[in-house]
Amino acid sequence: MNAHRWTLSVGLVLASAVLMKTAPALAHHSSAPFYDATKKVEVQGSVTRFLFKNPHSFLYFTGPDEKGQNVEWQIELGPAASLTRTGWTPQTLTAGMIIKASGQPSRAEGSHGMCCAKITRADGSPIVAGGRVTEEQQPPK
Amino acid sequence: MMAWLEATALATWTRESPSIWAYPTILTLHTVGLGIVVGANAVIDFRLLGFAPRISVPSLSPLFRLILWAFVLNAATGLLLFMSEATTKSKQPIFYIKLTFIALALWNTDLVRRGMLKDGPIGAPLNSSRYRRLAIVSLVLWSAAITAGRLMAYL
Repeated sequence: MNAHRWTLSVGLVLASAVLMKTAPALAHHSSAPFYDATKKVEVQGSVTRFLFKNPHSFLYFTGPDEKGQNVEWQIELGPAASLTRTGWTPQTLTAGMIIKASGQPSRAEGSHGMCCAKITRADGSPIVAGGRVTEEQQPPK
Repeated sequence: MMAWLEATALATWTRESPSIWAYPTILTLHTVGLGIVVGANAVIDFRLLGFAPRISVPSLSPLFRLILWAFVLNAATGLLLFMSEATTKSKQPIFYIKLTFIALALWNTDLVRRGMLKDGPIGAPLNSSRYRRLAIVSLVLWSAAITAGRLMAYL
């Protein structure tokens, strides 16, 4: 009887491990209902607003949509409490700064949202050099 | 009103502080409090449904005090979390559904508590179908409240 329980427990732990490996974007809840992890968008643009807050920060910037027209993009980021640990502050991204972002697009029709984005400066260099997380992939894994 | 609430120093601190002692701690306490409130309720409910028959039902009554204090903790941390995003949370129907489930669940818990105080010392009526019904309603209502709370992140 005990052997069965052990097998079940070990199996469950392994299954969770596999799940965690295959769902890298899991923060405190899954982003899958809102963002499509099978697609990727890459946009370069100019920062308009950076909301450094809990439970999610948001970055707004102006950049081209799929037709090349300038629109306001919104990137969902991790909470202020986690961004801080990567070396980010509310002043890390200021209006007018040119950034390059690649991430998962929002599922909502007609919206221009992105999550789990890798954000760099226009030349591809990290936003905060030597930050705790080497690759500025947000939300932090 | 909601905008004012969200702009207060306390709400701003909860929302914007990068400290681990701000939002993450408040949210963690809210979850721990939930565990105690619903966990202690579940112990009573399962006992009323016939589990662990060697534990006397009246001996569980001190749990109601624990439920009360854990609920106070959750009301306080919940208020802080609500304040920090008052303008958006106040527009979420699921938030009011959650509050309704909590109110009904608390009312139900109080019915069990008063029943146990009244009938407990005698013992016998606690095996009645009325208590089994209250126990099932309690488990359903608290589960619904948790589900609605969790859905606030999605709806």
